[in-house]
Amino acid sequence: MSVGFWEILALLLLVGTGLAVVRLQNAVHAALALIANFLVVAGVYVALEARFVAMIQIIVYAGAIVVLFLFVIMLLSAASANVGQDLLPRLPWVAGLGAAGLAAVLVYALTRFQPPANAPALGGGLPQALGPLLYDPEKWLYALLVVGFLLLVATVAAVVLIEPERIISATSHPAHPRQDQKPTPPMTEQKDGKAVVKR
Amino acid sequence: MKPLRSRGQGVEHRVQWNLRSSLQKLAAYGPLLAGFALSAEATPNANPDLTDPLWMVGIKAFLVIFGLLTAFAYMTLIERRLLARIQIRQGPNRVGPDGLLQPLADAIKSIFKEDLVVSRADKVVFVLAPMISVTFAVLTFGLIPFGPKDAFFGYDPWVINLDVGLLYVFAVSEIAIYGIFLAGWASNSKYSLLGSLRSSASLISYELALGISLLAPVLLVGSLNLREIVEWQHQNGWLILYMLPAFAIFLLTSMAEAARTPFDLPEAEQELVGGYNTEYSSIKWALFQMAEYIHLITAAALIPTIFLGGWRMPGFMEQIPLIGGLFALPYLWMFIKIALFLFFFIWVRGTLFRLRYDQLMVFSWGRLFPLALAWFLLAALVVAFKWPMAVLGWLSLLSLVVFSAYVVLTAQPKPRGLPRMGAGD
Repeated sequence: MSVGFWEILALLLLVGTGLAVVRLQNAVHAALALIANFLVVAGVYVALEARFVAMIQIIVYAGAIVVLFLFVIMLLSAASANVGQDLLPRLPWVAGLGAAGLAAVLVYALTRFQPPANAPALGGGLPQALGPLLYDPEKWLYALLVVGFLLLVATVAAVVLIEPERIISATSHPAHPRQDQKPTPPMTEQKDGKAVVKR
Repeated sequence: MKPLRSRGQGVEHRVQWNLRSSLQKLAAYGPLLAGFALSAEATPNANPDLTDPLWMVGIKAFLVIFGLLTAFAYMTLIERRLLARIQIRQGPNRVGPDGLLQPLADAIKSIFKEDLVVSRADKVVFVLAPMISVTFAVLTFGLIPFGPKDAFFGYDPWVINLDVGLLYVFAVSEIAIYGIFLAGWASNSKYSLLGSLRSSASLISYELALGISLLAPVLLVGSLNLREIVEWQHQNGWLILYMLPAFAIFLLTSMAEAARTPFDLPEAEQELVGGYNTEYSSIKWALFQMAEYIHLITAAALIPTIFLGGWRMPGFMEQIPLIGGLFALPYLWMFIKIALFLFFFIWVRGTLFRLRYDQLMVFSWGRLFPLALAWFLLAALVVAFKWPMAVLGWLSLLSLVVFSAYVVLTAQPKPRGLPRMGAGD
């Protein structure tokens, strides 16, 4: 594997944006740096002829997940995203050790990596080539199903955890209750700190 | 008559010119700069996404952006005139003949107005937000094919030909949401923040139904490439015939994505003094408007490309001997279809009123999303069991009948919660 100008540029951009995510003191700025990081990663995927993965990287990570981060930042900390402190010195040394270990493992894997001789042609990483591979029962179908099921379970668990005691109906406006039904009872007390909906 | 030129097969092109091939990729994907540059090493010669030499791609990209900006300027005029006509008014008719120079006057005004930056705003993000909006609005249009191969003076009438075309459309439109999001946050104003949270939440919700509504056509065609979708429709008939519910959902969700009237919460003047762009003035405010209109024009071009045969004329007209030859111009039908949909959007704006926020969300999550999912499952069944495609045509017809029956048979909605006014009261 030859290392040229573009590889070094990609490396610098990746590391730079990654550091910015950790070092920036404003949470929204850090989220922006995270978007930039994901875009660069997507570009690297395209360069490796994995276009489907690249687009999914943008749609899922740079699109959906960072939007979720931003929603949380803006709604929870009441729009004051400035943390006001550098978080990096506060990281425990264990985290640094872990990062160093991961880097060592990656470098080791990189030096030892041999591409399989009979790697299937993936046709530029397009879904037409990826789909049959993923959904073939002899290849990856069951792994895919297991991962999907795991995500579903996690989603259901998250919904159950944050479920308020009163079911909020989006169709009937609290200011104008329906004529044909009883007015909704007042919101029950938050008993043992289980209900998470506040304010 | 094809002009002489070397394309791909020429001797020069066989020389592995890394810089050139990497630059082609840079031009194609815009934001994904560094990674594409990497691919110069991986694929030294063939870049299937760019079928033309780089300078031609540059010219076409410039033309697309120039065309979009001009179209934006005149869309504002056309929209105001048409709305005035719908509401029996005159509309702007003073600047130039019939008000034709009104966009120019508007542009001069918005450039020379005072450009306020809120003193406690996050300055960098405040300036960045309208730029993100416009940039990512412009990026989609280059995918849309305007004619057959070699129709643009011997070159191809599209800027990039991506095999992951529709995914790219989704990716770009998702990133475009950040413009609205960051604008509201950076303004450091409660109205702006609430407006931006609200409109980005609605945009994200409608993005979901939009994506799922397109799964069924993609499954049937078997490609994400817009050109291949157009070709498939040429051979098998327009996709709207097989995919009527998907078409309806895509039409509605594209209107929501462009923040058009029934769904234009980003512009809710009454409630949030304008929403996310409250604190913006002069050219920055105009940039947001620009992004919105460019989204609209892109939607008006995407809908016919995916569902209505793209740049080809209706199939039955090709059979008529004289007209078929006469109107077989490459660009004509695409422009007709775009104009048709733009008119439709303006017409809707003149007719319907804005939805309330909860109605908007219920319409997306409660109606459009399950409908899109159900139709996708039906289409997947048909494709999986290899039933004839006519089944999908009949199902589309059935859905139309069911929908009409639903509209006709359900009573007019009564105002909820308000005291009923009897005739004698």
